[in-house]
This record gives sequence, C-alpha cells and structure tokens, in this order.
Amino acid sequence: MANKEQSFTKPSGKTYSLVEIVKAPTTMVDKGPDNTIFAFPIVAILELIIALGSTLFLVLFSLLKDAPLEELANPLITTDPAKAPWYFMGLQEMLEHMHPTLAGIILPVLAVGFLISIPYIDYSREGAGVWFTSKRGKRIVGWTALYTTIVMSGFVLLDNAFPPRELFRDVLPNLVTQSILPGGVMALLVILPAIVLWKSKEGSNPREIMLVLFTVLFFTAVVLTLTGFLFRGPGFELFLPWAMPGGYNPFDGL
Amino acid sequence: MKKLKEFILNSRPWKSFFRHGWPDNPLDRSLIMTTNIFFHLHPVRVNKKSIKASYSMGLGIITTVMYILLSLTGIMLMFYYVPSVETAYFDIVTLQTKVPFGQLLRNMHRWGAHMMVLTAILHMARVFYTGAYKPPREFNWVIGVILLIMTFVGSFTGYLLPWDQLAFWAITVGTSVAAYEPLMGKTIQKLLLGGPEVGQAALTRFYALHIMVVPAVLFLLIALHIWRVRKDGGLAANEVKDEVEAEDGK
Ligand code: HEM
Repeated sequence: MANKEQSFTKPSGKTYSLVEIVKAPTTMVDKGPDNTIFAFPIVAILELIIALGSTLFLVLFSLLKDAPLEELANPLITTDPAKAPWYFMGLQEMLEHMHPTLAGIILPVLAVGFLISIPYIDYSREGAGVWFTSKRGKRIVGWTALYTTIVMSGFVLLDNAFPPRELFRDVLPNLVTQSILPGGVMALLVILPAIVLWKSKEGSNPREIMLVLFTVLFFTAVVLTLTGFLFRGPGFELFLPWAMPGGYNPFDGL
Repeated sequence: MKKLKEFILNSRPWKSFFRHGWPDNPLDRSLIMTTNIFFHLHPVRVNKKSIKASYSMGLGIITTVMYILLSLTGIMLMFYYVPSVETAYFDIVTLQTKVPFGQLLRNMHRWGAHMMVLTAILHMARVFYTGAYKPPREFNWVIGVILLIMTFVGSFTGYLLPWDQLAFWAITVGTSVAAYEPLMGKTIQKLLLGGPEVGQAALTRFYALHIMVVPAVLFLLIALHIWRVRKDGGLAANEVKDEVEAEDGK
C-alpha cells in the first residue's frame, strides 16, 4: 500500500494530478503496480538484443549456405518429384491419401475455421498466460502429441501399403474409397482422444479439449509435412531421406 | 570532449530530434511511451513475468524482425530484378555472380522467408499453449491467424520469381490444388495465374502481390497486432495471479 501511495505522489514537473481512482475492471484487475516495472529501457534493450541476434544468425546462415537455383523454367520438362514449398508439403502429402477436394479444400478450411474459433469456444479467462495451464494440461499435451505422431505415421504407412482406392477400385464407388473412407478415418483419429478425455473420470473443461484438438492438428501437420518434405522421393514414393534414389536431396528444394 | 558533448546535446538540430534527455525518472519513462511512435506500440509498464524468455521466447519479435529484414533485402533485390520470363532467371544469375554481395543478399532474403514462416508457426503454438488467446485477446488471435496465412502467401508468391525449374513446378503443383474447389476452383486458379498455366501473366501477378499487396497488408496487420497487445493489457502473463505462481513453487 505504501508503495502505491508513493508512486502517486505529485512530482514537481507535473501539470496534472490524480483526482480520483475509478473502480472498474480493467485488463489489470487485482494488480497493483507492484509486479510491474517500467518498459523503458528494459524492453527496448531486450528487443534490440533479439533483433541483433536474429539478424546475426541470418547473416551467418546465409554466408554458409547458398539459396538453390536450378535450370531455367521449362514447362516441357517435369521435375521428379515436383514438390510445393515445404510449408505446403502437408497438403501435398494429404493429396496422396484422399480426394483433392477433401485434402486441398475441405480439410484446410476446417483447420483454419477451427483455429479462428478456438477463443470463442474456450472463453474462460482462467489460466491464461501459463504454459499448458496446469500440470494436467502438460500431461494431456504430451500424451496427445505421442498419440498423434504414432497414429498419423501409421495412417500414412498403412494407406501407402494398402491404398483402398486401388484395392477396391472395382468394388466400391470412388466417393467411398477416396472421400468417405479416408475422411472418416481422419475424423475418427482426431475425435478419439477428445472423447477419451471427455469421458475420463476427472472430466474435462473446454481448455483441455482445445489442448487435445490443437495438439492433434499441430502434430498431424508436422507428421504430414515431414513425410512429404523428407520422405517423398522420385515418383513421390516413400524412401528414407538418406537413401533417396538418383541422388535426390529434399533439402535442395528449399 | 565534455564540452563537445555538451555542445552537441544543446545544439538546435539535436534538440529538434531528441526533445528530451535520457528518461531516468518515472514521469519521463511514462512519457516516452506516449511521445515516441515506436515506443507507443508498447505498454508503459510491463509485468516482470511477461519479459521472461521462457514465457514468449521472443518469437513474435523475431517474426517482426524477419519481416523488417525481408523488406530491406527485398527492396535491394528489386534494384536488380525484372519480372519477365525472358530475363528474370538471368537477373538472378547475374545477381549471384556479378553483383557484389548479390549472392549474400539473395540468400538472406530466401532463408529469412523460410525463417519467418517457421517462427510465425512456432509463435502461434506458444500463444496457444500459454492460453494467451483467451479474452480479451480473441481478436488479436484472429488477426494472428490472418497474419499466418498472409505470411504463407508472401512466401509462396516469392517462390515463383527466380523462374527456375524449382519455382515453376512448385507453383504449378501449388496452384493446381485450387482447381479442385468444386464451385469456383477453375476461376480462382485462372485469377491467380492470369491464364490456364504458369506463364508471363502469372509472373506479373505474383510479382505485384509479392512486392506490393502482401507486404502492405502485413505491415498494417503487424502494426495493428502489436498495438492490440498493448490495448489488451500487455502479454497474458500479466494476468497470472500470484497464487498460481506460489503453487509452482517459485
Ligand atoms: C506475421 C506474423 C506475426 C507477427 C509478426 C506477430 C508479432 C507478435 C508480437 C511481436 C507479439 C508480442 C509478444 C511476443 O513477442 O510473443 C505478439 C503477440 C501475440 N500474437 Fe502474434 N505475431 C504473428 C502471428 C501470430 C499468429 C499466427 C497468432 C495466432 C494465431 C498470433 C497471436 C498472438 C497473440 C494472441 C498475442 C498476445 C500474446 C500474449 O498476450 O501472450 N500472432 N505477436
């Protein structure tokens, strides 16, 4: 309290004075000035350090490794494999496993829609500003990440070994093998951990459900991107990155 | 020496640039935040927890720094590059072999672009896992999602400009996905490429998007985004109650 009083005393150079403290909720509810420090100069100094550090890193990296430049573009000669930039390789990988409308349009739109709606589903202010919100949250994220990595890698490998759209080409319609089947499997894999959490003895709250869903989305993107970027070689077949045929090196295409 | 310093500090040009001395008292330290446009994007006071490296990891700042570096190196690249299918590729070759530091310039722009995409994604993950999207920061989260998409678009449109095999086929593959949108797919693809396939029209469009549209949108949105951080009460770590901290055993 004494502290508060002190910071409100009127310094000589001041041409205004504190008239009244209005009691109203602000974004700093329940916070006295005690925990805070002046942003100047410490924040400016930290930002300068970060700026100089990352600039230095970029310059050094650029001195060590040259940007790739291949032959002049030629619409008549296809490169093999033909890959999109790395951050779209997750999408391109999905195209291998399901109908393009599903992989390239519907799922990405759902993913972005989910991202945007996160704060509107989990709108409690509880636990903001703490990594994983709680010890339990941390465990949930850890297990979900492990689950997603295994399950999505499995999906890629299984679908690659036994592609339904080829195995059942004459038995089932395309709509089933290319859209309903892979889409259904994907949906199941995504929803499953959320249901497990929801039905668990301790119950769950919206934040924890979001932790599960975001982690599934994030690690699915990581698995698919790495598969497409690192493990796909000539003919867009799966290879080990260090055993690519024809001397193909995925990093040459960065 | 001291006299010289005194003279410079009291000279008219210096005083017109820096109207105040170094802010060393609470009043001046508050005032500088409202009188200087760059500092004005920041809150006057910050919570000690919010400036800890382990909280934000500085990822948003690094992404902003990458944007600035990309703008600077990008402008320099424009001095040498003409977006024509006849010359573009050879402009890059000349840049790399004949222009002093040309290769370094191109490397910085390329690796900087990859790094900006990467740090923007990591920044989103850190914001999510720290629960920093919760009210009142919902709007800033949504701006963030748009920023991420615009970062992709910026990087993707730049990818075509060297007009080599890598560029041509990456954009061919990338834009062919758009055609699968059932209602407007073909139209969207045509709109992007300016024709049925990747050619001069596509290069012209990608160039305009890459050097004007995307950077301008990013600039406005980043300014809005960082300003919102202040308006929302600084970083979310500000809101952590002290009990929570006590529980962690700190
Ligand atoms: C071009 C990309 C982006 C830039 C330049 C950027 C910049 C920043 C900066 C400088 C901060 C201050 C804190 C920090 O450094 O972490 C920040 C905070 C924040 N950003 Fe971003 N950002 C970008 C993308 C995103 C994305 C993709 C999201 C989420 C989808 C997002 C959501 C937020 C939120 C909610 C905060 C407040 C965090 C808190 O209160 O702890 N931003 N951003």
